[in-house]
Amino acid sequence: MAADTIQLSVRNVRKSFAGTSRSVPVLDGLTFDIHERDFVSIIGPSGCGKTTVFNIVAGLIEADTGALIYRGAEIASLRGRGGDLMQKDLLFPWRTVLQNVLLGLEMRGVDRAAAVATAREHLAAFGLAGFENAYPKTLSGGMRQRVALIRTLIMNPDILLLDEPFSALDYQTRLYLEGVLKDAVERFGKTVVLVTHDIDEAVALSKRVVVLSGRPARVKAIHAIDIAEHSPIAARSDHRFSDYFHTLCDELDIQTQARP
Amino acid sequence: MSAITAEKRGSEPRVAPARRRLVLDTPVRRTLLQAAAVALVLLLWEAGTRIGWISAFLFGAPSGILRVFLRMAADGSLWSDTSCTLIEAILGFVIGTLLGSLAGLALWYSVFVARLVEPFIVAINSVPKIALAPIIILWFGTGLVSKVALAVSLTAIVALIAAYQAAKDADTDLQALLVSMGATKHQIFYKAVVPSAIPAIIATFRINIGFGLVGAVVGEFISSQQGLGHLVYTASSFYDLNTVWVGLFVLMFLGFVLYHAIDLTERVLVPWKQSSSGHQLQM
Repeated sequence: MAADTIQLSVRNVRKSFAGTSRSVPVLDGLTFDIHERDFVSIIGPSGCGKTTVFNIVAGLIEADTGALIYRGAEIASLRGRGGDLMQKDLLFPWRTVLQNVLLGLEMRGVDRAAAVATAREHLAAFGLAGFENAYPKTLSGGMRQRVALIRTLIMNPDILLLDEPFSALDYQTRLYLEGVLKDAVERFGKTVVLVTHDIDEAVALSKRVVVLSGRPARVKAIHAIDIAEHSPIAARSDHRFSDYFHTLCDELDIQTQARP
Repeated sequence: MSAITAEKRGSEPRVAPARRRLVLDTPVRRTLLQAAAVALVLLLWEAGTRIGWISAFLFGAPSGILRVFLRMAADGSLWSDTSCTLIEAILGFVIGTLLGSLAGLALWYSVFVARLVEPFIVAINSVPKIALAPIIILWFGTGLVSKVALAVSLTAIVALIAAYQAAKDADTDLQALLVSMGATKHQIFYKAVVPSAIPAIIATFRINIGFGLVGAVVGEFISSQQGLGHLVYTASSFYDLNTVWVGLFVLMFLGFVLYHAIDLTERVLVPWKQSSSGHQLQM
């Protein structure tokens, strides 16, 4: 089946950071696969190294050993291929909404007029028409994160890399943006890797969930989430939602029910 | 019905006046207060010299200052002195700030070079630049160039240090984002480092425009044929205090105008930085 073709393979990745007296191992041989058009969440206990995985895949830091294999070829990182979206929206304060969205296309040297037309189309599709010339500081957190999402999508990346993109937002805005993300991912046919501490979000959005152990992180389990519901809110009312939720909580050693 | 109306009428005036307060903090009233303060000082000064409490010989008098001002304005000498000093100050400010800011930003490119030159920058910064004035006059002569050079020596180092610090402080998360998008070092410099350093660089304009005037005036003190510094220096050696004050007030006015010109520049160059309230918390 085409959907199960492996797009990105993370092979035996190890990483240590220099501590005060000795080096502290953070990632202890991580191995997992991302399929074409997959939506994979990576969850794990606090401080286990989720963001380190993100940074290595995104190319912001280098792994000590191990390999990334992308569509059959070994690569150093997804730098330039992936689109990042992080907790901080990282909008450039001196650029207007439109100029922020155009940032990546400028660096690619895309024709200005064509880039602006595409940007305006995207802004309208995400309900931001009329805000093209606003500066980021005048927007709400949810609007800013939508601008950041458009800035990422407009680059047409092969994979979206998301590092807790909604965790700074209030719950209502988060639910809304989860829906916006899911729609966009399906409309543009993107593969997504989502690093999150939020089990609820992972189950509602993902096709598969990779659970990491405490530090040094290993892959503890990989769960396929078989919820057909499209919208993240409807997914939360699926009868299997709470089963998945409790299973994942157990994996993370979070007690969700009083034990006898 | 009529009884109720009457009661209301009776109670209203008692409450209302107690809650009314005179609001002084409006633009027009602020300006009036400021003008009144200046007028009061001038008036006391003039009255003091007339009565004999203040020595007109040592301190001058507002009426005498005005007379000198009008005479110098009429014969054109005021304008030639002012334009001379203004040109020196602005040239010194622009050249010094431009060179300093560009050098400071360029240091971002190489941590090695920055570390290498840091002690030299600190050393140059710790010399009181005014002490260089006599040598600068020797090197560059007594004309325009030496005054500009002195102003440059004052402004360049301030701009350099501020620009380098601002470039170092540029948001690394924004730079990381550009890196993940595949940006080159040049692109990071132009798209992230320079724009984020611009507010700090413009903040040094405010300091440096003053230093530009200092350089011009000190240069004129030491050796010159014209300019406001020349005017102040020569007049004071003749105990012509009214003329000294004319020079000082014009310098003050120049500083004032230049400061506001920079305010305007800031508004044009960093529209995204305008604060939403523009005011501190009212307490």
